[in-house]
Amino acid sequence: MSGAPVELACDLLTESLAAWCVAGTVERTCDGAITIGGDTEIRIEPAPRDSVFRWMVAIDGRKRPALSLLAVLRQVRKALEPDYAANRVRVAIAPLVPQ
Amino acid sequence: MTGADPIPVSVLTGFLGSGKTTMLGHLLRQPDFSRTAVIINEFGEIGLDHELIETSEDSIVALTTGCLCCKVRTDLSQTLQDLLRRRDEGSCSPFDRVVIETSGLADPAPILHALMTDPIIAARLTLGSVVATVDTVNGLATLKREAVSRKQIAVADRVVLTKLDFAEGQTEAALRGRIADLNAGAPTLRAVHGCIESTGLFDAALWDRNTGAPEFDARLAKAREHGHHSHDSEITTYAVLRTAPIQAVALTLFLEALAEHCGADLLRLKGIMSIAESPDRPAVIHGVQHVFHAPAWLDRWPSADHRSRMVFITRSIPQRWVEVLLDAIGAEVADVSVRA
Repeated sequence: MSGAPVELACDLLTESLAAWCVAGTVERTCDGAITIGGDTEIRIEPAPRDSVFRWMVAIDGRKRPALSLLAVLRQVRKALEPDYAANRVRVAIAPLVPQ
Repeated sequence: MTGADPIPVSVLTGFLGSGKTTMLGHLLRQPDFSRTAVIINEFGEIGLDHELIETSEDSIVALTTGCLCCKVRTDLSQTLQDLLRRRDEGSCSPFDRVVIETSGLADPAPILHALMTDPIIAARLTLGSVVATVDTVNGLATLKREAVSRKQIAVADRVVLTKLDFAEGQTEAALRGRIADLNAGAPTLRAVHGCIESTGLFDAALWDRNTGAPEFDARLAKAREHGHHSHDSEITTYAVLRTAPIQAVALTLFLEALAEHCGADLLRLKGIMSIAESPDRPAVIHGVQHVFHAPAWLDRWPSADHRSRMVFITRSIPQRWVEVLLDAIGAEVADVSVRA
């Protein structure tokens, strides 16, 4: 993974905590991971290159893979907001590009 | 758009007693509003509003089974299908437009959801404009007291002030200020004794085959101007622009993330999007809360401005979060593409 997605992921997590009004400090570590400090310890790092996953998310030491940033966001929010229930998404079925 | 143009379905909303039925009655007497079918949703066992509108009876449908926002998916879908069937059979007056008058207590969002996502509706109908009426005399108090009335304003494309003959100038000015706080991009019009020019009232589509996208551009400009100056702590309007085209899958993921994390706080999103895989045909997106319309693909760019442009009306969703979300998803999708 190149540096730009990790940098933007770090920005996104910082802004997400603010948007969700939850406490925590987001930081980059020297080994390329992202940590969120607070009541819950979260560490996010790029998955190994040969993995089908993009990210590995460790919440209080328990590691889980994530396919995308959306999955990372969901895991982080659930960890920081125990009552969080994701909205059921309804995006109308359509081709991604015009037919 | 390609093929036969879909019939626009517009929504007339507004709190109880705000003058929806009076204004609709006047509109239906205007010649250029004659080819309009009307669905009136009345809350209560005995509907009266449809009796108060003088027009050809076969193009008016009264829905008295309950508040549309509570039973919208079945009742509205069935009613619209019946209207289309009657139109096809020639058993009702021909119409080129449908207007749904909601009950005064209705949250318009579920109605917009149904219009945007029902596949049977989507095949022949398209979401037109949302017009909200506000009683100038009681409007400020109603907006302060009734959350649903604030939502009716927030999702509107046009706001119409009514009962102006009873109101003082200061009241109107204060009300206009409050409306601008809730929805800076929507033009605020005046109906005097219920009368208002029909031209342009229900023509707030993002794009027009003949005129391009002046409506959208005007709203975008207001959203950009007003976004940092809103006095309302709850509802804010802002614009997000991007020069670089967005990959289609990134847009889909972005909309999913918005829907998942924002839900009811995303009151309305409209946008014209530059898609990397479709450089000559931009996508038009509509979202209301956690529901997004399937993107509509325009035949061409409506103007020389080929940037992606989105207008957000939200309750406490920071603009910065939306922008970083879009950029982060875009970067991830680009990174995956490179690695593949």
